[in-house]
Amino acid sequence: MRTPRLRRLPLRGADLVLVAMQALWKHAGVSNNTLMVVQCDRPLDPERIRRSLDRFLDVCPWPAARLRRPFPWGKLHWAARSRAALIGPAVRHQRLRAPEALQAELEAELNAAINPRREPPLRLAILDYTPETAGPQSVLVVTWFHPLMDPRGGQNLLAHLAHLDEVDGRAPWGGTPPAFVDDPDPRPLRERGRLGRRSQRYMRTLTPVPPVSPGTGLTSPGRARFRQASFVGDDRGVDGVRSTREICWRLALVGRTMAELWRQRGLPDVPFLVPVSVDVRPKGEPGPTFGNVLAFHFARFRPSETADVAGLTRALRRQMTDALRDGQIDANAAAMEFLKYRPLSVMLRDLPGTATRETFSFNCADLMDFPVALEKLFGRRVVNAYHAPSVLPRPGIGVFFNRCGIKNNLVVSWIEGAATEGEVTRIVETIREGMGWQTAR
Amino acid sequence: MTMSTGNLSRLDPEAVAKAVTEFINSAIMARSRPVQPDDDLELAGLDSMALLKVLLFIEAQYGFWMPDEDLVAENIRTPRAFATYICRRSA
Repeated sequence: MRTPRLRRLPLRGADLVLVAMQALWKHAGVSNNTLMVVQCDRPLDPERIRRSLDRFLDVCPWPAARLRRPFPWGKLHWAARSRAALIGPAVRHQRLRAPEALQAELEAELNAAINPRREPPLRLAILDYTPETAGPQSVLVVTWFHPLMDPRGGQNLLAHLAHLDEVDGRAPWGGTPPAFVDDPDPRPLRERGRLGRRSQRYMRTLTPVPPVSPGTGLTSPGRARFRQASFVGDDRGVDGVRSTREICWRLALVGRTMAELWRQRGLPDVPFLVPVSVDVRPKGEPGPTFGNVLAFHFARFRPSETADVAGLTRALRRQMTDALRDGQIDANAAAMEFLKYRPLSVMLRDLPGTATRETFSFNCADLMDFPVALEKLFGRRVVNAYHAPSVLPRPGIGVFFNRCGIKNNLVVSWIEGAATEGEVTRIVETIREGMGWQTAR
Repeated sequence: MTMSTGNLSRLDPEAVAKAVTEFINSAIMARSRPVQPDDDLELAGLDSMALLKVLLFIEAQYGFWMPDEDLVAENIRTPRAFATYICRRSA
């Protein structure tokens, strides 16, 4: 296949925010990796995955691209050479001696920071192990430099690789590959500029004082860690709340666990500032793979407001409704598109507290359902799947939900020094209890 | 589409279900995956933010905000469930 000598894909909106946030910690060697962990019922064949990845590069070069910026005024972009010159991401295969070694391997993946200027922005690992109660299994770990794509994009990539494996030799996607990246915003520059300025004004009013976080004061951050737990239990309506599935309910519950941490540490009762990512893909189809196709809503509430979770849920829903009604979420998406004109050091200027590297109080997201289309993968059944993103030293902690089949996954990701194992255990247990979940067998 | 709140008592459930469905398909769903009036909206992929968009549409078109206590599955599961609620509330 003939391809141009050099292809470029500009980083946009939320991609740039993620790059800029990591740049706050550029001398601390902080990882910007995120993981997708897919547990399969039997061992995976690494060759099938390598073949799929190789075929994917025939139609889409971005997994083998490098991050570039023509110094200092150019746009940050992914650059990929011609197909013949592309070297695909690594697919590592390792047999673990004991199931207990899995967590250490996963955390090593999270901490082995990808340098996208020198290596592909993603890599895969197949970790084989034998649980005590079952036969040999594999865990497929997709690790990527977070600005390359969001969790939904990671799932889309896996779905494309699985499709290429299934069609083996026949024309994939019915002969017409899908769009792997999003189209630019079609609105006129004047209108986008007006929205961008409105968003800037709004963001300057978000909080009266910079947020504090469990990572406040942390000058030499430790390793990125995470804890994952699976639970079963249905969503339920609570005190007039739509359901425990709703992001506002979950955020209020996580807020309560964080407030407990605040109390134990004597942190001040200044408002929490928590970014709520909004996937702006149209619903019902996978949408783009590469790029973080996100806008942000910023939830604000005081630790002292978290005692009444149902009441806080209503308040957070009102906040979110007002942001939607006023067009702030759309304006935020438009505003982020203009970041490409700024140097990295001033991209986050509109967020309170970034001068002292205080970004948010904590992270929280619901990464929704693992796609039903990925029930089977490379001839194996998917038993469970979840995402584990690294968090920055400030805030230093994040709580992430997702669902795979009947399993509700909870991932707490933290930086050593910002939280302790005991605190994480307490957070997991409090959320489990609040959600009314039981531990999955 | 605009509708005066003075006409709420004459709302036709079928027409409301059609209007809600059209809104969801134009503002939330991918063009290739339209929903039908009886489709389960959560299964169709609507999340918390998308639900709020539907509530804002109802507010703009029918002149009232669905209170928290009415946000139960019976009223929000499908476009038709929304329509039934809107007509009942407007009667």
